[in-house]
Amino acid sequence: MSNNVIETHDLTVYYGKHRGILNVNLAIEQGEVFGFLGPNGAGKTTTQRVLLDVFPPTSGRATIFGLDCQDQGVEMRKRIGYLPGELSLYSNIKASQFFQMYEYLRGENNAKDYWRELSERLKLDTSRKIRELSRGNKQKVGVVAAFMSRADLLILDEPTGGLDPLVQRTVLDMVREAKADGRTVFFSSHILSEAQAVCDRVGIIRDGQLVATQKVEDLFAARLNRITMIFEELPAEGTFAINGVKELERSEKSIVLEVTENLAQVLSIAAQNGIMDIETHNIGLEEIFLAYYSKDNGGEHV
Amino acid sequence: MFRLFVQELKFRRNAILGWGFGLCFFPMVYLGIYPQVADEMAGLADLEIYQAMGVALGTLEDWIGSILFLFVPLLLSVFAVINGTGTLAGEEEDGRLEMIVTLPLPRWQIVSSKALAFSFAAFLILVIVSLASGAVFLAIESQLETDLSAMDLVLGMLATWPLAFAVGMLSMFLAAFCSRRRIAALTAAVILIISYFGSNLAGSTSAIEPFEPFFLFTYLDYTSRAVTDGQQSSDVLVLMGIGVVAFALAVFFFQIRKLTVGAWPWQRGKVEAA
Repeated sequence: MSNNVIETHDLTVYYGKHRGILNVNLAIEQGEVFGFLGPNGAGKTTTQRVLLDVFPPTSGRATIFGLDCQDQGVEMRKRIGYLPGELSLYSNIKASQFFQMYEYLRGENNAKDYWRELSERLKLDTSRKIRELSRGNKQKVGVVAAFMSRADLLILDEPTGGLDPLVQRTVLDMVREAKADGRTVFFSSHILSEAQAVCDRVGIIRDGQLVATQKVEDLFAARLNRITMIFEELPAEGTFAINGVKELERSEKSIVLEVTENLAQVLSIAAQNGIMDIETHNIGLEEIFLAYYSKDNGGEHV
Repeated sequence: MFRLFVQELKFRRNAILGWGFGLCFFPMVYLGIYPQVADEMAGLADLEIYQAMGVALGTLEDWIGSILFLFVPLLLSVFAVINGTGTLAGEEEDGRLEMIVTLPLPRWQIVSSKALAFSFAAFLILVIVSLASGAVFLAIESQLETDLSAMDLVLGMLATWPLAFAVGMLSMFLAAFCSRRRIAALTAAVILIISYFGSNLAGSTSAIEPFEPFFLFTYLDYTSRAVTDGQQSSDVLVLMGIGVVAFALAVFFFQIRKLTVGAWPWQRGKVEAA
């Protein structure tokens, strides 16, 4: 039996003539934090809305916990905590009343103390009316609402948007704790550092298409190092033309290489050619992500 | 569903109080001044402009019918358009509906709760206005020569509720069907205005007469008979029938609506080449 919490099969959405998402195939396992990365308009929110049956796909199919997202939406949503990216709340009530309403509508009684605990943790004043809250505090209301029912699956659309760095860190801690409890988190973001900090795997969506799905560690392992070497006298071109090595830049005294394998051989050749200094840079998720969006490679792996 | 109904009713608390006490203006002013203007009004009874507006002013019952039983339901219908379109399309456009539809609630329950809450709110507004009318009537009763009782007036006014129900459900249907709230609200407002003037003019213009059954106000009696005997049961049945059918259509179209997208029904689920 499949251990996947979320599965999509060729999920496609068109808004009239405009593309939303195209043949998105996802398989997200129980207990993992999956980062869904892409710039604005790539299709992250569309995918999440289809998963929650806000609207049906034009074609394709999605299941969550084995339940069809369109046909068994009510049963499915009982097990999901959701934070929309475009959060809009009833403004004439206090935050505490909103949580009570939310708890009441979900038909739960076990969230009572937990929303208080989460609000304290995020330093949210629940006695104030929502319309009086700043954007960041409204976002905290959304975060608490998503987490308060301790749902088996959290779908979070850019959860740290509008939050200050300290609160962002707290929210990421909450995501890690959810994972530690064995819960699954589907986490969309265009802030790559936070995805790098909490995600087990990431999917990169580009122009509505999922262009890559990879474990975060594999993503880094595959593109390990960028090396700048300084020589007294620059070696001839082609000196480092070996498997897994690509020369990126060459100046008067330095060469920049991207090395995915044969690092020892690179160092040996460099030593033979009178290397004076060496600098290595770990490639961040941001650079990898940008590579997927680079026009030069058409969004393919580089 | 009861939980959502309670919440929806709570959200309408201010509207109930605002519209309820706001509409009390009509009985307090127009019924309150009747003893002073009764003789003058009797002389204006035959003016064509009043006939075109469906207004008769000769007696106390005519006066109550033409002022209270016409304008209170008319203004309550304006509330129905605003609330009926705002509760689905308005909440969808400002994003609040997304929080509700992603809860474990079936969509038909969401529409039903909102429809029930609207209907109950409209009734409560009418209760406030009816009680105010009864109170004003009791205050001026000693200056009047009439067989009408305060209870007749209260019950007669409550009996105008089916018009607001029908307009509210039509508005909800339009909100679930149209791509945007402003289109739904505009369409509902046009229906309301055409219904009002159409039903009045149908009585005096033969060209419009065949269309009379299509005007909602045809089924609202605001003559002196309605004040003493209430609405005709056939009219009530027609308005309730329109409301129920519109509600069923609202449920159907909300069920298939691509929420947050704002598309017409025929634009839904359409695969087009990239």
